[in-house]
Parts: sequence; structure tokens; C-alpha cells
Amino acid sequence: MTSNEILDLLFSTLRTTGVWNFQFNIIVMWAIGSLFIWLAIAKKYEPLLLLPIGFGIFIVNFPLVPMMGYADGGYPHLLQFFYRYGLEWEIIPCVIFLGLGAMTDFGPLIANPKTLIIGAGAQLGVFITFTGTVLAGFTLKEAASVGIIGGADGPTTVYLTQHLAPQLLGANALAAYSYMAMVPILQPPIMRLMTNSKERVIKMRQLRTVSRQEKILFPMITAGIIALLVPSVIPLMGMFMLGNLMKESGVVARLTDTAQGSLMNIVTIFLGLSVGATMHADKFLSWKPLFIFGLGLIDFGVCTIGGILTVKIMNKFLKEKINPLIGAAGVSAVPMAARVVQMEGIKYDKSNHMLMHAVGPNLAGVIGSAAAAGMFIAMFD
Amino acid sequence: MKRLMLLTVIFCFLLSGTVAAQSVPEEFLGIPVPEGELVKQSKKRLELMSPKTHDQLLGYYKEQLEGMEDIKIRDWTDQSYIEDDSNRPWHSITIDKEPEGGKTRVVIMKDNWTWIIGTLLLRYVGVFVVLLVLLVGMTISGKIISSRVEKTEAKK
Repeated sequence: MTSNEILDLLFSTLRTTGVWNFQFNIIVMWAIGSLFIWLAIAKKYEPLLLLPIGFGIFIVNFPLVPMMGYADGGYPHLLQFFYRYGLEWEIIPCVIFLGLGAMTDFGPLIANPKTLIIGAGAQLGVFITFTGTVLAGFTLKEAASVGIIGGADGPTTVYLTQHLAPQLLGANALAAYSYMAMVPILQPPIMRLMTNSKERVIKMRQLRTVSRQEKILFPMITAGIIALLVPSVIPLMGMFMLGNLMKESGVVARLTDTAQGSLMNIVTIFLGLSVGATMHADKFLSWKPLFIFGLGLIDFGVCTIGGILTVKIMNKFLKEKINPLIGAAGVSAVPMAARVVQMEGIKYDKSNHMLMHAVGPNLAGVIGSAAAAGMFIAMFD
Repeated sequence: MKRLMLLTVIFCFLLSGTVAAQSVPEEFLGIPVPEGELVKQSKKRLELMSPKTHDQLLGYYKEQLEGMEDIKIRDWTDQSYIEDDSNRPWHSITIDKEPEGGKTRVVIMKDNWTWIIGTLLLRYVGVFVVLLVLLVGMTISGKIISSRVEKTEAKK
């Protein structure tokens, strides 16, 4: 064997390694992936999602890794497989909603249905951001998918983005989950800015007890009304209500346990990894994700303002006043936003516990953001 | 002499009008325009009457727009509606199904903020409507069930 042959052999071996095909832009993506892993572990910000998302970003940004491409026979690689059948087919967000439904107690919303209006008012940012995004040169479909970030509902954001602008999936999902995790930091200053000291101490009457029959009937009524008015979003809301019906019926405990436990955990892993895997340096490193993060923040703020303003307007017509702080919970981000309301409320009156009152608009926000997503889908389909 | 001048002016005016009516632009806001008679044209809107049938015109636009992304074609009862959902300068093409005097009306609209804001406002109100209907449904069902539960408990 000559020295040239040995060198050729060495080079041909080297060419199959990532070192030979290294590009410097992937270092930025490693940093982004590591940042989200750090936020999940050190700060405990939405760790169930940010950890797999961060690792997804990290692992796909190595040269030649067979993760998000296709094998020679046309078969999808591992993460491409999760992405295609989980997200492209819009299955994962719906299964997550099934689990969420199985975890959710709609009692506070049923006891005080007026809070549904707050959930609608809190979608203000979604529509305002749409306008800003169009002005920035995004297409209408992209604008709709960016706008829904303010709804602070991860699965709805993923569902709508995958439906309308899959190229923005990574950035939108990351922005939505990041801001949801940062609710305790982002919302209190807005809440203080939008309310005065008198409003913050308004005490609300204790919620009535909700019967089991009402709780069983609620998912049926909601699914029926959503199916009639916004049919495009029924895959999400239908599964949400099925999960809740399973829980409230009390006759399928095993199914409820599976939906809110194992199944939910499994799809969460696939969701996080698939979303992270869409963020390859070649596609992700542009001005668009940065812009989406900026707009998402404004969106989130306007949605919070929208919820609080809605309560203030409602108070003009109501005999029994509502504490405007609970308007902030209209952005979904269940149950974090409701907890923030509780924490903020007791700062001004230690006996004023608003957690259950805030859960109503919180759940209404989930339905409201799904309705807004349905409106957008209907606009373009 | 005055009459002659007046007649000349009127003749020129009519002639220019006829020429304008016949001079159909080859494109409007980047979208090809089929043969026909120009009815009205402004910066935002172009309206023409084409001797082609609705199906021929629809086929023409489908061919022209083939491969373009974010194009939506809707088949309405009395019109076919083609809408652009990306950033193209034109917003919509409407083709009437019923011909007028053997000609088909085609209207091309510029991408406009009135439409965007209008549709957004409508959809925001739509979210309220959905949740209000749900509110009504929940209130009614809540009252019915509560009264039934109370009656059952009273019997006990």
C-alpha cells in the first residue's frame, strides 16, 4: 500500500465524519439548544417541553446526522418519522388536548360562565399581532400562525402553525412555550399597570357547587357548539372535550389515567423532539425567528391587556363586580396564569384568594384561542 | 367656427373614451388580464367584460396561476373567487358565472388593508360570538340541571 493510497483511505474515512462537514453556523444552534436545556433544568421553565425541544435543536445541528432526513430507500429518519406522523398529520396536538381534557376540572368555568367573555377578550393580541406581522412582510398565513402565540396555548399554536405555515413551526412553538413559561415574570407588571389599587382588592363571591350532571353535560355542549360554529378546530376541541367527558363520567378511570398520564407523556416527548428537530441552522438562522420572538412578546402583552380591559368593560354592566386581575388569566397558559393572579391578588389583600375565580377565564382562554385558530383556518382553507 | 371646435372636442373626447374602453392592459398588478373590454380601471380595481365563458376564464387563470403557492380558489353560487394569501400585489379575481350580453365580468382587486382589517375584526367578533353562544348554552343547561337536582334533593 502506497502512502497516497493510505492518505486517500484516511480522507475518505474523514469525509464520512461530521468534522469534515462542519459549518460554523451550527454552533449558534448548539447555543440555542443548550439555552433551552438550561432554562428547563436550572430555571424549571416548562421543563417537560423545553428540555426535549432543546435537545432536538442540539442533536439535529450536527453534520450528516441521520435524524431529520430520509434514508436511501426513502424511509424517514427517526425524528423525521416523529415529525411526519405526529405533527405533519396534526395528531400530536390533538392527543395532547385529549390528555389536557382528562386533567381539567371545568367546575369554576361552569359555576361562573360569564368568564367565557374574558377568554374571548384576551384574544385581542392575536388579531393585533396579525396586522403587525403582515406589515413586516410575512404572508397572511404566516401572520395568523404568529398571531396565535399570544393565545399562550402550546398545542393550539403548534396545530395552527403546522396547518398554515409549517416553515415557522420551530420558532412559533418555541416562542409560545417560552412565553408560557415566563408568565410569572411577564404578566404582573402589566396587571399592575392596567389596574388601580381599588380594583385589585375587589372580592368576588364564592363560586357555587357544580353538580356532576353539569360537568358531564359541559363537554357535550361545548363540542356541539364548537363543531357547529368553528368546525375546522374540532379535531383539537373534540379531543379536549372527549378527555374531559372521560374524566367526568367516572366510568372509564383506566382510559382517563392513560390519557392524562402515559399517553400524554409519550406524545410530549415526540412533540418536543419533533419541534426542536425542525430548527436546523440552514432554515432557522434568519431574521424571522427573532422577529417572531419580539412580536410574540408584544402579542402576549396585548392579550393580557385585552383580558383585563374586557373585565373592566364587563364591570360597567355588572352589579357584582369582577376583580380585573383575573382578566390576565384569559390568555390560557393553564394553570400558570391563574396561579399568577392568585399570587398577585394576595399581595394587596391576604384574604382575597382568587385562584378558582381565575381558573374560569383561564379555561375560557383555551377555548377562545382554539376558536381564534379555527377562525384563521376557516379564513384560508 | 365655435360649433366646429366644439364638435371636434366632443369627437376627440368620444374617440379617447372608445380607445380607453378597448385598450385592455396585458396585466394588472402582476396578474395577466384576459382579452375583453375594459369597463373600469383604478389603482385598486380593474373590471372588464370578456367574450370568453366563465369556464374558459377559470381555466385560463388556473393555468396562469399553476404552481403558485397560497392561491385559494372558491366556487361560489354566482361567482368563482380566486384569492391570494401571500404577498402578491393583487388580492382577488372574481369571475361571474352568469354572462351579461354574452360577456363575462371579471374583477381584479388590489391587495388592500380594508379587507385585512375588516376580516380580522369580523373574526375577533366571531370569537366573542362562539363564546357567547357557549355562555347561553351553559347558562340554560345549568339552570335546568340545577332545578332538577334541587327537586331530587327535596324529594329525598
